[in-house]
Amino acid sequence: MRAFILRSVFQRLVLLLIVSIMAHSVIHLAPGEPSAVDPSNPRMKPEDIAKIRAAFHLDDPLYMQYAYWMRDLMSGELKSFKDSQPVLGKIWRRFLNSLPLFLCATLLVWTLAFPVGIQAAIRRGAVYDRTTTVVAYTLISVPGFFLAYLVILWVVNTFGVPVIGLKTFGMEHADPLFRTMDRVWHLVIPSLIFASGGVAVLSRYVRSQMLEVIGHDYVRTARAKGATEDTVIYRHVLRNALLPFVTMFGLLLPGLIGGSVIVEQIFAWPGLGRLGYEAILARDFPVILTLNFIAAVLTLAGTFLSDILYAVVDPRIRTGLQGDA
Amino acid sequence: MNLKRWLLLTPLLLILLLLQSYLWVPTYEKQATGNPDRLVTYVEASSGDAKILNPILNADSVSSQIVSLVFEGLLDLDENLQLRGRLATDWTISETAYLLVSSSNRFPDGTDVTGARLVKRIRAALMQDAFIELASNVRTVDVLPPASETHTIVIQEQDAEGNPVQQTVEVTVDVPERVVFGLRRVDQDFFQRLIPMIGDRYLVHFPYEQYVTFQEPVEPTVKTQVLTQVADRVPVAEHNPVIEFRLRRDVRFHDGHALTARDVKFTYDAIMDPKNLSPRTADFEPIKHVEIIDDHTVRVVYKRLFSPAINAWTMGILPEHLLNAESLDAEMRERNLSDAAREAFGMRDSRFNRDPVGSGLFRFVEWQGDEFIHLQRNEAYWDGPAEYQDYYLRIVPDLLTQEMEFRAGAVDYYGAQPHQVVRYKDDDRYQSFSSLQFVYTYIGYNNRRPLFADPVVRRALGMAMNVEDFVKYILYGEGKRITGPYPPNTQWYDSSVAPLPYDPEAARALLETRGWQLNADGWLEKDGRIFEFTLITNSGNPVRKNILTIAQDAWKKIGVKCNTQYFEWAVFLKDFINTGDFDAVVLGWSMGIDPDLYQLWHSSQAGPQQLNFVGYQNPRADELIVRIRQEYDLDVQRDLTYQLHRLIAEDQPYTFLYSPLATRVLDDKIVLVHRQDDGTESYEKIYPIPSGDISFHFHQWRKLELTPEF
Repeated sequence: MRAFILRSVFQRLVLLLIVSIMAHSVIHLAPGEPSAVDPSNPRMKPEDIAKIRAAFHLDDPLYMQYAYWMRDLMSGELKSFKDSQPVLGKIWRRFLNSLPLFLCATLLVWTLAFPVGIQAAIRRGAVYDRTTTVVAYTLISVPGFFLAYLVILWVVNTFGVPVIGLKTFGMEHADPLFRTMDRVWHLVIPSLIFASGGVAVLSRYVRSQMLEVIGHDYVRTARAKGATEDTVIYRHVLRNALLPFVTMFGLLLPGLIGGSVIVEQIFAWPGLGRLGYEAILARDFPVILTLNFIAAVLTLAGTFLSDILYAVVDPRIRTGLQGDA
Repeated sequence: MNLKRWLLLTPLLLILLLLQSYLWVPTYEKQATGNPDRLVTYVEASSGDAKILNPILNADSVSSQIVSLVFEGLLDLDENLQLRGRLATDWTISETAYLLVSSSNRFPDGTDVTGARLVKRIRAALMQDAFIELASNVRTVDVLPPASETHTIVIQEQDAEGNPVQQTVEVTVDVPERVVFGLRRVDQDFFQRLIPMIGDRYLVHFPYEQYVTFQEPVEPTVKTQVLTQVADRVPVAEHNPVIEFRLRRDVRFHDGHALTARDVKFTYDAIMDPKNLSPRTADFEPIKHVEIIDDHTVRVVYKRLFSPAINAWTMGILPEHLLNAESLDAEMRERNLSDAAREAFGMRDSRFNRDPVGSGLFRFVEWQGDEFIHLQRNEAYWDGPAEYQDYYLRIVPDLLTQEMEFRAGAVDYYGAQPHQVVRYKDDDRYQSFSSLQFVYTYIGYNNRRPLFADPVVRRALGMAMNVEDFVKYILYGEGKRITGPYPPNTQWYDSSVAPLPYDPEAARALLETRGWQLNADGWLEKDGRIFEFTLITNSGNPVRKNILTIAQDAWKKIGVKCNTQYFEWAVFLKDFINTGDFDAVVLGWSMGIDPDLYQLWHSSQAGPQQLNFVGYQNPRADELIVRIRQEYDLDVQRDLTYQLHRLIAEDQPYTFLYSPLATRVLDDKIVLVHRQDDGTESYEKIYPIPSGDISFHFHQWRKLELTPEF
């Protein structure tokens, strides 16, 4: 097991290096200049632009730019092109904003998808199953931003309460309990929108996974033994159907960065997704690259975690690994 | 079965927990009515966040918006776009002019030139009646002794393979005696007026080679280049405009520190410090030096005639005591930076840019990135505090949610889209404004291409197009047709220039005079080639895309075949505009208030990466452009800009289309408050000033409880 962990950590480090180099070159290959370097601004002379380019190392060869980026990233002194603020501090603050949204949406996805999917599997072909199928496919196919607009307009026009932003504007002096609840309310709509697609997809997985396991021999055996239907479904079927989801759990991590761009944009949520999106528009290379790097780390950590979790929950894999070691 | 129950209960509980929070949230209604502070709080929404709150570093519009409230400049523009004093109470513009005494030259009567003789001659001449006007301008005439200066000159050369190489040459220049004139007002023709006294060859021929000593021997080609550069640095005749500002005495920064001449000089030095990478260096580059005369007087000496340079002083003044070397040092120590970071540390990295201290109408309170910026009024503002107590700029990236927040009353201002204007005009809960801005849209023709080289052809192309239709159908009427290179709300724009008539028949007739005949397929043809070109623009701008279509259709009607294409902005600039490799282009300019069009229209600015990318060339226009930027008398300057406007309209290097109006909507309860001496208030409806700005009187804005009747 230890050898497996060491080997996979090493492989991932190599992969991370390759990913970071590729991302670096791809981003620099894309057309466009950092917004501070603005040749179409008549107020800026070519000398000024040359000075800014030099300060950003934009005229150095790509591998040198990569080295500068890595050096500054590792020393924690990487600065954004846009406002010269330390990149890591910026990302950390945005991360704290994105985290509640991500947690709330993830909780919704994982707690809702299972009961919905299980019921659909049990009542396969019944009205409930068909309804959830239609709803799920609708949610999957309706673009998130469109759904968000509809929901926002409906909520604002019907209930007359604010839904965008982290909190109601101008509530700084209210009672802390009110402020907390206000923050929770502002989480509700964006995380429901954020989660809607996830619930739809995941409940479909749960359903098909359940259906697959229900057909197995040991389920028939359990039923034949006289176990109650609930015991059969929740002890025998669900447990075995859960296995593949363990892997999905690890892959949730990178969603922290990329999953929320549209929701954050529409709901004026100052999170990581928006930070990345705006950095791309301004060609703020240090921020784009660092976010990309963190996303890569999270993805690799996620797959690593899945591997380990899988080994933990599935004895077959565990023994296989031991035999291998 | 426990598991089953849990599986159902958990999501239900979670959703209930989330939804109950609704009960705690105040409705929009409650926020607006139950809160008296709301009436003295102004909330605006912006799609983008500010980047850097420092007047010498910001380059984006959102940052400038905040910076202009927190900081204040020496000057600003009044309702008619004339300069008016803010931190400066008043200012005077005079000139110091220098004339090198060239001892190898001779006077028209044949005597050798020396400093003393030159001065004597000039003084004598000024006593004569013929020079009475000149004499009224000359305050002093003196001679400066010779001086020796060392110059480091960088020469751009090409090596054997054609790669650019830089060579640095050190030279000693023995500057001869100089006559220095103190002038009461700036006169760009001053030296020309001296010609009767000094002879007409004096100004054009000066033997620099006699005064320059090379440290090391150099090749002849290098030598010529060096001499040219020396001539630029030590010109025979040099104009040095001088502006003296007297500062207001009772101004303090928001932290209580008095604002003095030191802060003004510091701000200038900070802009010119290469470490700060200020995007404003070009505005301040014409300055030779800034002198502190006393705590409240600053003298700015300019290297050359450049009248728009004074506009740069509308920029906010920085507090020296918070940003000088000691303060930055202290910040570095506190932040524990590494040596490499210390090396590069400049004002750009300072925390000041996210927590600025200025002397403006509002003081900075808080900035939550991508969420909001909060300002509070400066109670000690020298011109009286603003009516609003709090100012919030909320960052709402999405336009639809922005409008929704506006309609719900959580935001006071909304920049409506042109198609929404009618709806808001009819709604009595809002006041809406359509007013001019400093921008316009045009179709630019690549004047270098033979197809467009002839002004008559360009005129015909313009006449084929019904610009009124553009405004009507693309902008829903929210635009004003323009005829020339200045924004129509500036004093430089000559409104008497008639727009091109819409007349496709006459357009075709004009083209026929140039040999373009309709062929069997209905296209214009000349020498076996049809009149065909490609009109391009950038993607992501639906208005420009529409213009492509309408123009294509209009030209098709007169037999001109136009292909259209659009490109991503970066590609568009890099591959087409910067290289000048295009036929015709739809673009817009966002202009300043000054009349200087050098970068956009001067023939020297038509190279790659330069802004005269259509390659417009007209010696008369060049001359006017240069005279305009060197003229300090407003009336003369306006006269010149009218001539330039007319000339460019004549040449039609662009088909000038329209200036889109800014369409803005405000809550109807926001008014202009006038305070009378007896403590009573009267209200006035908000109105745009002639330049189109509606927030010129922002310091008097306030929201009333009830909608006022006007």
